[in-house]
Amino acid sequence: MSAFPWLSLVVFAPLVAALVLLFVPAGSRSTTRVVAIASTLVSLLGSLRVALGFDPAGGVQFRERYPLIESLGIALDLGVDGWGVSLLLLTSIIIFAGAFATWTLQERDKEFYILLLALVCGVFGVFVSLDLFVFFLFYEIAVLPMYLLIGIWGSTKKVAEAGPFRFLFRLLDVGGKEYAAMKLTLMLLLGSAFILLGILGMVDAAGGGSFSMEALASADLPRGLQLWAFPALWLGFGTLAGVFPFHTWSPDGHASAPTAVSMLHAGVLMKLGAFGVMRVGMVLLPEGAAAWAGVVGVVAVVNVVYGALSAMRQSDLKYIIAYSSVSHMGVVMLGAATLTVDGWNGAVFQMFAHGLMTGLFFALVGLVYERAHDREIGNMGGFAKAMPAVAVFFTIAGLSSLGMPGLAGFVAELLVFLGAWGGPMPWWALAGILGAWITAVYVLRAVRAIFWGQGPPERYTHLHDPRGPEWVALVVLAGCLILFGVAPRLILDDIDVATGEHLAPVTAVAAEQVTP
Amino acid sequence: MIPGIEALAVPLLVLAVALAVLVADLVVGEAGEAEAEHGPRRGVGALAAVGLLGALVATWWLPVGGEVLGGAFVLDPFALYMQRIMLLAGALGCLGSIDHVDRAFPGRQGEYFLLLLSSLLGMTVLAGARELVLLVVAFELMGIPLYALAALQKRQDAGVEGALKLYLTGAASSVVMLYGLSFLYGVTGTTSLPEIARGLAQGVDGGPLLALGLLLTLAGMGFKVGAVPFHMWVPDTYQGAPTPFVAFLSVGPKAAGFAAMVRLFVEGFGPLRDLWWPLILVLSVASMVLGSLMAIGQDHVKRLLAWSGISHIGLLLLAFGLASDQGLGLLLFYLAAYVPTNMGAFFVAQVVGRDGDDTLPAWQGLARRSPALGGVMLVFLLSLGGIPFAAGFWAKVLLFWAAWQAGMGAIVLLGASLAVLALFFYLRVARAMFIEGQGGQAPPVGLPTAAAILLCLLGVVGLGVWPRPFVDAAIAAAGALLGG
Repeated sequence: MSAFPWLSLVVFAPLVAALVLLFVPAGSRSTTRVVAIASTLVSLLGSLRVALGFDPAGGVQFRERYPLIESLGIALDLGVDGWGVSLLLLTSIIIFAGAFATWTLQERDKEFYILLLALVCGVFGVFVSLDLFVFFLFYEIAVLPMYLLIGIWGSTKKVAEAGPFRFLFRLLDVGGKEYAAMKLTLMLLLGSAFILLGILGMVDAAGGGSFSMEALASADLPRGLQLWAFPALWLGFGTLAGVFPFHTWSPDGHASAPTAVSMLHAGVLMKLGAFGVMRVGMVLLPEGAAAWAGVVGVVAVVNVVYGALSAMRQSDLKYIIAYSSVSHMGVVMLGAATLTVDGWNGAVFQMFAHGLMTGLFFALVGLVYERAHDREIGNMGGFAKAMPAVAVFFTIAGLSSLGMPGLAGFVAELLVFLGAWGGPMPWWALAGILGAWITAVYVLRAVRAIFWGQGPPERYTHLHDPRGPEWVALVVLAGCLILFGVAPRLILDDIDVATGEHLAPVTAVAAEQVTP
Repeated sequence: MIPGIEALAVPLLVLAVALAVLVADLVVGEAGEAEAEHGPRRGVGALAAVGLLGALVATWWLPVGGEVLGGAFVLDPFALYMQRIMLLAGALGCLGSIDHVDRAFPGRQGEYFLLLLSSLLGMTVLAGARELVLLVVAFELMGIPLYALAALQKRQDAGVEGALKLYLTGAASSVVMLYGLSFLYGVTGTTSLPEIARGLAQGVDGGPLLALGLLLTLAGMGFKVGAVPFHMWVPDTYQGAPTPFVAFLSVGPKAAGFAAMVRLFVEGFGPLRDLWWPLILVLSVASMVLGSLMAIGQDHVKRLLAWSGISHIGLLLLAFGLASDQGLGLLLFYLAAYVPTNMGAFFVAQVVGRDGDDTLPAWQGLARRSPALGGVMLVFLLSLGGIPFAAGFWAKVLLFWAAWQAGMGAIVLLGASLAVLALFFYLRVARAMFIEGQGGQAPPVGLPTAAAILLCLLGVVGLGVWPRPFVDAAIAAAGALLGG
C-alpha cells in the first residue's frame, strides 16, 4: 500500500475547488467550469486509482487516521472496503458527468458550483469514514447545500393548482421550489436527529470512549439498545433512502431540482441513506437487524410496488423518474433485508447500477426540458426524429431500469431476487418481480410517448441532439451501464468480499435466534 | 494596597477603560461640540473597543486563584473564563456600535459607551462574586445601565415600550430576587456562598423557607436571562432597542446571569441540587419549546432572533442543570460559541436594517446585493441552527451528548426535534437572502462594523473547525469550580 493519502485527495479535492471558486470573479464562466471540472476529474482519477489498487483480499484499505478530539474518541478516520470502493467510484462518475451536464447554466453559476462541490465532499466523506462522528458530519454536509441548490436554481413549476385544498397548497407554496427545498431539508434533518440519537446511544452503550466503527463492531452492544437503535437508524437513514412512507420529499425534491442536483441526489445521495442503513445499522447492530429485518423487508416491498405504481400514474417526466427512484431504492432495501450474501451483494450493486441509471435519466430529462421547456409527456411525441441520440440513451437507461440482461440493472435485480428467494421470506422476490414488471410498463410507455409516434409537435422548434460538453455525461454514464452490465465482476468481486466480512456477525446472530 | 487586589484585575481594567472613555469624552466634547456628528467623538467608541480587547489579551497574564475582600470575590478559572467571554462580548459590542451610535445618536457617544462599560463592569464582578451582597450589588450595576441604553431610541414608540418593559420586569425581578435571597440568608445565617455550602453539607435543614427562597431567587434570575415564563420583555426590548446594543444585551447579561446562577446554585446550594434541579428542567424545556414555536411565525428578524435566543437559553439551562464537570463545561463552551454567533447575526441585522426596517422583506436579495454579507449571515444562521463546522454545532451536539449520558434521552430527542424545527425559521431568513428578491445596491458597511462582523465570523468558524482547545478549557474551568 502506498502511503499517499488517496482518500483525502478524493474527498477534499472538491472542497478545495469550492474554496478556490470563492475567489474567482463572478463573471468568468470558463474559469468557474474549468476549476469545478478539474476537481471532479481529480476525484474521479483518485477513486479510479483506489479501485484499481484495491486488494481483492478484502479488509479496510487506504487507511488514514488523524485524531480530532481525543478526549471524546473522535478521529478523521478514512478507509474503504469493497462497498466503499464501489460507491466512491459511483459518486465520482456521477459528479464528473454532472459537472458537464450543467455546462449551460446561466444564472449565478459560481455559487452553484461552490455549493455542488461542497455537497460532493460530504458524499465522498460518508462513503470512506470509519468514525461515526465524522461520518455524521459528512452526512450533514451532503444534505444541507441541497436547500439552496433547489431553492435558487430549481424549476418553478406549479402543481396542485386544483382541488379542494388548493388555497392551502397555494398558501404553503406546495409544488414550488421553495416548498420542495424546505420539505426536503426538514425531513432529512429530522432523519439526522434520529441518526444522531442512534449513534450516541451506541457509543454510550459501548463505553463512550470511541466513535470508531471497528470498536463499536467488536463492542458486543446490549440487545435492548440494538432493538431501539436499529429502527432509529433505519428511519433516520431510511428517510434519505426514500423508505415508505418517508419518501414524500423525494419526488418533489427531484422534480424541482436542477439537472446536476437531481443527478447527484437521486444517483448518489439516496444511496447514502441505504449505505447508512446497511453499514451502520445492520453491520454494527446485528441483533437489531435480525429482529427488524422482517419489517424492513415488508416496507421495502411496499416501496418497490407503490413507487412503481406511482410512477405509472405520473405524466410529468421528472416525477416519473423520481418515483422510479423510490421504487428502485426499495429494491436496495429489499436486498438488505434478506440478510443473505446474494441479497446484500445485489443491494450494493443496485445502488451502483441505479446511481448510473438514474443519473443518466436525469441528465437526459434535463436536456429534453431545456429544449422543449415542457415536462408533460402527454404534450410530446416523435422527439426521436429531432434528437435521435437522446432517444437512444433514454432507451438504454430505461432498459437498465426494467432489468434487461446485459445492462447493470439486471445484475443487481437478479441478485436481490435470488437473495430474497433464498432468504426467510421467498414471497418478497415475487413482489419485487411484480415491481420490475410495472417498471417495464411505465418506462416503455414513457419512451413511446416522448420519442415515437407522430411529431414532434410544431411548437417545439429548438429540439436538437446534445452539443459539445453535454455529450460527456451521456457517454460516460451509458458506457458504464453497459460495461458493468457485461462485466459486473469488475466491482462485484470487491463488493462480495466486503459483504462476507460484514454479514458474518449478522448471520451468526440470526442462526442463534433460530436455534436457541 | 489591599492584599490580593490582583484578583480584581479584570473589573479594574474595565473600570480604567470606562474612566478613560469618560475623560476622553470630556476632553473632545469641549473641543468638538459644534461638529458632533463628525468630530473627534467618533474615537470614543474605538477607545472602548481597543481597551477591552487589550484587557482581554491581558487576562492571559493574570495569576489565577486569588481572593480578595475576605473571600467575597475570587478569581478562579471559572471566573476568569466568564470574564473573558464578557470582555469579548463587550469589545465586540463596542466595536459594532461605533457606526450606529455615530449615525443615530451623534454627540452622545460618551454616555453610550460609558453606560455599556459600567454594565460590563457589573458583569465582570458578578463572575467572581461569592457573597450574596456583592452579588446583588453587581447585578444592579449590570442592570441599571442597560435600562438607560435600551431607552436610547426614545423618539420611537417601540423603543419606549421595549425599554419600559425591560425596566419594569428588571426592577420587579430584582425585588423578587432580593426577597428570595433574604430568606436564604435568614435560613443559613450567612451571606458567604462557601459557608452556605459548608453549612448545608453539615446538615442544616432549611425546610420550606429555604425552598421558597430558592424558588424566588430562581425566578429573579429567570427574568434576567429571559427564560420562559419570565421572557415577556425579550422580544419587545430586542425590537425597540438599538440593534448593536441588542447584540450585547443578547449575550452579555445572559452570560453574567448564568455566572451568578452557577455561583449561587452550584457553589452555594449545590448540596440541594435535588431540590432546584427539577425547576431548572421545567424552565429549560419550557424555554426550548416556546422559543422555537414562537420564532416560526416571526417576520421581524430581531424578534425572530429574540425568540430563537429564548430557545437557546433553554439549552443553556439544560447544561446548567446537569451541574457536572461536563455539563457546566458545556455551558461555558456553549456561551463561548453563542457570543460570536448571536452578536454576528445582530450586527448583520443592524447593517440590513439601518433604515429602520427589520422585517424579512428588507432582507430579500441580500446575497445578491452583497454576497459577503449574505454568506456571513448564512454562517451565523447555520451556527445558531447547530450545523456542522460552525461553533453552534459543537455546542449543541456536545450538550446533547452530555445530557444523554446523564440519562435524559427524552430531552435529547425533544431538543433534536426542536433543532430541526428551528432550522425552518433560520432557513426562512436564508430564503429571503438567497432565493427571493433581486439584486441592487449593497448596504453600506462601516469599517468598525465590518471588523466586528469579521471577528464574529472568525470566532464561529474557528470554534467550529477546531473546538477542542476551547472545549477542554471550558471543562477544566468547570472542573476547577466543582473540585475546589
